[in-house]
Amino acid sequence: MEEKKLENKRVDEELLMKRRREELDRLPHGKEVDFDEAVAYQKSLPDSKVWWKVMKKLEDEGRMSVFPRAGTPVLEDMIELCQSMRDAGVVLIPVTTDSYTRTGQHEKVAEIMKEVGKNRKPLLNGFPIYYYSLKDCRKIIENVDAALSPRAAGGDFAIAAGMTTGGGGIGFLHFGSYAKNVSIRDLVKGAQERMSIVGWYADRGVILCTDLHGWLPGAPFPLSVGIVGLIIEAVTSAAQGQKALYPLVHCMGNMVQDTAWIRLAPRLIREYLDKFGYEDCMITGCCPSQTPLFPVARHMGGAFAYLCYIAMVGSFAKCNAVDLRSIDEGAGIPTTETHEVSYRAAKWIFDVIREQRIEIDIKGVEEEERVTEIEVRAMMDRILDLGDGDIAEGTVKAVESGVLDSPWSPNITIKDEVLGVRDARGACRYLEFGNLPIPEDIKEFHREKIAERERIEGKKVDYYTAVRDLWSLSKGKMVGLPPYDQ
Amino acid sequence: MKKVPTIITGTVGSDAHVIGTKVLSRALKDAGFNVVPLGIQVSPEEFIKVAQETNADAILMSSLYGMADLDLKGFNEKRLESGLGDVLLYIGGIVGLGRHDFKEDEEKFKKLGFDRVYPPEADLDAAIEDLRNDLKAKNKM
Repeated sequence: MEEKKLENKRVDEELLMKRRREELDRLPHGKEVDFDEAVAYQKSLPDSKVWWKVMKKLEDEGRMSVFPRAGTPVLEDMIELCQSMRDAGVVLIPVTTDSYTRTGQHEKVAEIMKEVGKNRKPLLNGFPIYYYSLKDCRKIIENVDAALSPRAAGGDFAIAAGMTTGGGGIGFLHFGSYAKNVSIRDLVKGAQERMSIVGWYADRGVILCTDLHGWLPGAPFPLSVGIVGLIIEAVTSAAQGQKALYPLVHCMGNMVQDTAWIRLAPRLIREYLDKFGYEDCMITGCCPSQTPLFPVARHMGGAFAYLCYIAMVGSFAKCNAVDLRSIDEGAGIPTTETHEVSYRAAKWIFDVIREQRIEIDIKGVEEEERVTEIEVRAMMDRILDLGDGDIAEGTVKAVESGVLDSPWSPNITIKDEVLGVRDARGACRYLEFGNLPIPEDIKEFHREKIAERERIEGKKVDYYTAVRDLWSLSKGKMVGLPPYDQ
Repeated sequence: MKKVPTIITGTVGSDAHVIGTKVLSRALKDAGFNVVPLGIQVSPEEFIKVAQETNADAILMSSLYGMADLDLKGFNEKRLESGLGDVLLYIGGIVGLGRHDFKEDEEKFKKLGFDRVYPPEADLDAAIEDLRNDLKAKNKM
């Protein structure tokens, strides 16, 4: 039997409200959420706690903030952690949830929290948002003068608690980097319902912002699939009533490419939003992201350098936010102190470098922007063809057929027939194209760049080159010249 | 004819960090082993079940999110009860939370029944060489 085709249109409100109640009632404290009261609470928040307003203010004033990842299980410690980040200049604060919360293991969380309570040891790798009452979660909002965003879980409950982001796009991030069995059809269908909660709030005058991840490449890989993912997420979010969004642009460590992608992503997202009639959906900024390339630098020096690199790229590109990981990211769960010292380093760059308003013209950016744009447009054209003009159905068919694909996928429903390697200058190139609809002349461009590396290294580039390239940033050596390669 | 050892790979518990176990699975396959790659988020029970079904010689677990010890509570007892005491057990990755001495992890996981514990960035070839030696010592290769 052929499955019902998806359509990129707003979810029926009656169905939405039924699902919301069902979902919330399954959570330990979900019954505490009253929808109308949640709207009133959101409306009572000052501008400094409303995500989209904070981002617009940063942009208007030519400033930027770190957008980190942080969470710890004890409420009082979480508040202290948020306050310390605020003291370090962070005004976009995450509430990162632990892995068990993300996978819905509420009983396991409760059991571990009993032990946490005994000796206040952070046994979980994040904040178990559903373990706490709505009132307790609001204590974070009330004690921290910044905008807060739940990470990886939280949704409707977190919005009711006063966090001001929601929606999250289709969820390519979950699909491509965390899920094992989720099919793209189920993902898109579920996401439409989740995203429409934000539309429900927008109808009542509450604008929730969302960051879009696109399809996260967990390893050195050109960003064209990632940017296509961003466009799909923007257009499908807007269809559910999302009025404020911004892309995370995953930086791969080659400054020419990273700069090109930061320029390209918001431009194309705007173009496609307008094309589909969502002119009223604003893009609140652009956030270069320190994609947690596996493995990240474990050495503290390297970890500092990596986060400062992203801060620099963001400063040069005049972004208003930078998604950073602390220096402990590769070593385990960061402490309050390591969060603070990390973001102070980034803030130093924002305050000193960003404010110099340096105009730099990096050679090669235009070429990388051109190449990626051609790839993105070719994929978007194919997606819309596959969906007979509908982006939601087209996306499903594109992933099923490998027109959209990504390497190193944990999800067994993804083709995983593509592979990326770095070229002689550390830029990411396609080694295996799989079924990506990349024009032949652009494929040749990638092959030539890879051939240049082969000439320099005197050996064929293959799967194991891609494996070695996984370590390029963590070991602090971009190009595979000897002695790195020995 | 020499037996080709069967090796089970996967990330344990709720961990989704896939790349390590993917790279390891491919390298083991290229090195001539019979690999049963279970991918991400494999429960301890599934490791045991598949080890019984495939008559496995070793289980190589990966974990990068620092909570493997919580995932593996009671695993060794269940493994021994299931008659898998002779199956080699390795784990690698970030297997403890926060900055700490890797020796602490090594001791903790050896107590949990693991034969070898690897830190992040461990060398693939060296680990495969360890595996060969351990299998030979058990007369399984």
